Amino acid sequence: MQTAIQLILTSLQIGAVYILFSLGLTLIFGVMRIVNFAHGHLFAVSALVVAYTVPWLADTGLPVLPAYLLAVIAGVAVAMVLGFLMYVFGFKYFQRDMVGSFILSIGLVLLLDGILLKTFGGAVRPVPEILPGTVTILGASVTVQRVALCAAAVIITAALYWALTRTKLGKALRAVSIDHEAAMLQGVPYNRMALAGFMIAAALAALAGALIAPISIVSPVIGADYLIKGFIAVIIGGLGSVPGAILGGLFVAAIETFGGFYLDPTSATIAIFVLVIVVLLVRPKGLLGHG
Amino acid sequence: MSIVKSMKFVVLGAVFGVAGSVAGANAQEIIKLGLSIPLSGSGATWGKGSEFMCKEAASEINEAGGVKVGDVTYNFECVGYDNKYNAAEGTRVAQTLLNREGVKFIGGSLGTAPVKALQSLTERQGVMIFTTAWGSSIKGPDFPLTFTQMNTPFEILPQLIPYIHQAHPEAKTLAMLNPNDASGQETESVANGVWKKTGVEILSSDFYERGTTEFQPIAARLASMKPDIIDLGGMPPADAGAVLRELDSLGWKGVKVVEVGTGADGLKATGGDAVEGVYMGAGVTFDGPDVTDHQKKVNEDARAAIGESLNAIQIGFYDSVYALKAGIEAAKSIDPKEVAKVMPDVTFKTFYGGEIGFYGMDSYGSRQQMRLPVIVTQIQDGKLVEMARVVPDGK
Repeated sequence: MQTAIQLILTSLQIGAVYILFSLGLTLIFGVMRIVNFAHGHLFAVSALVVAYTVPWLADTGLPVLPAYLLAVIAGVAVAMVLGFLMYVFGFKYFQRDMVGSFILSIGLVLLLDGILLKTFGGAVRPVPEILPGTVTILGASVTVQRVALCAAAVIITAALYWALTRTKLGKALRAVSIDHEAAMLQGVPYNRMALAGFMIAAALAALAGALIAPISIVSPVIGADYLIKGFIAVIIGGLGSVPGAILGGLFVAAIETFGGFYLDPTSATIAIFVLVIVVLLVRPKGLLGHG
Repeated sequence: MSIVKSMKFVVLGAVFGVAGSVAGANAQEIIKLGLSIPLSGSGATWGKGSEFMCKEAASEINEAGGVKVGDVTYNFECVGYDNKYNAAEGTRVAQTLLNREGVKFIGGSLGTAPVKALQSLTERQGVMIFTTAWGSSIKGPDFPLTFTQMNTPFEILPQLIPYIHQAHPEAKTLAMLNPNDASGQETESVANGVWKKTGVEILSSDFYERGTTEFQPIAARLASMKPDIIDLGGMPPADAGAVLRELDSLGWKGVKVVEVGTGADGLKATGGDAVEGVYMGAGVTFDGPDVTDHQKKVNEDARAAIGESLNAIQIGFYDSVYALKAGIEAAKSIDPKEVAKVMPDVTFKTFYGGEIGFYGMDSYGSRQQMRLPVIVTQIQDGKLVEMARVVPDGK
């Protein structure tokens, strides 16, 4: 029983980051009908800024927690500036153009790979422990940092869900996602919605990167692993579906955790890809996809 | 007047001609040493340190007068490219080094998968290669141009594992984890055999994919078996540190081994205090009484450049440059095939101190392995401490 609880908690912790990551991907696809392979770099930039800023601020005498919170703000800000530049000089011209956006985002991946390596170096950056200690939940041991990450991810996801269902901006984004021409006929400014959707997605990736930095291996290539898992989560859940992204993120995390535990890490990775193939064969639009 | 003018031109031409030929005789030719190394990802520190050490040795040799072959003096120049520790990038780097840079000597290469990609070209194109990659499939009579510049699991593990077994006779069970690639599989294969000889029961031996950033499920599986020893084999320091951190949070306490672990700093970057007590087979200490001023200075320079102490992998890139100098001068040629022919018989200056040569007839059927000391280290109070040092014998 304790093992099952430990695995469920692990799935939720890992799934929390996958959800934040895949929500951004699905939002961009829903609003702009494009896939952004450079999404992982927004995540990486934020994590790297946090990894560089926390030790620097801590060295000035600031306690670690305030240093981390300031670093999160800096990381999210830098990633959002990068996201804005990506949109204004790139994706703005390839909206609803799957092939064009595909080529553009692959080009951006190569460009940003080089820039990140040059700027931050390739080595892993250590981030000091922000919230030390472990807690026991139903007999399972979990670090306080991971509990905090989980709580933050739940709050962010809930806030996004509320904003998408209850606010004017959220309703406009959903309208554009369902039928952008009909939405425009109703007076919804499509271009502004596309920018808003892209920037919200950038913020989600940046927050995920900033949250994972203290408990992961921060290097310029950190985004690649999450990009693959994020895409798998979105495909399983259904491209463009917010509940689908949440479900897909949890699904991928559960398979990674339970598969890794009962089989071995390599088999768990294979199982995730097999699952994608099965879902695409049975439900090509994903479990909750409708577009 | 025209005769005088003509004479002036002749004299001027002769002066320039002589000056040119003298300058040509004194001009120092460049020998490029290609490096295929990871400069990004979890093995990046290894790659950066390797490039640093190649340049350090090249600079020392160049300042001391270069490499002499007859009347010609050659200087070394290190040219490194990022192989990202995978075969695909390794292939790209191999093409770049051999076909674009025109490299005839590989000063060092890191990662079995990218090295195999590189070796498939070097042996065919007559390029001599030094490598840290291990495995009996890398060297031997079938690969006459390949030489190994660091101890491999074949040299390290028969010394390291029995030492750990003797230090912890109460430890009876073991779980192993390695990267799922050529490096990891070769390490696992050797370690499995050596651990079995000690009588320790192997509960599991798993592989994970390089590039993994979330190690909690893997740590949960390892901890659930309650092994007395966890051996993280050939994992890069950042990955091994992350696993040890997760194991610590799950409450696992036992004997920690990173067989080709190279130092405390890389592990601590992701593992924090959880790396305390880790045994390693490729670490090098720089604070004992036997450490020379030269070793200390180079290590301090390296720390400033890459942020951590030097290790056996990186030192291999220093030793290979001196081995190449000795080989080229002994062969009196810069033809890689001629240099490779004499290389098994040359001795050269090693960073560890003294002169060493090559051996390996017993393990590989040819002398292509540098005879380097195997150093068993352990992290104690956050610092790397040397526990034992053995210079392997054999032909």
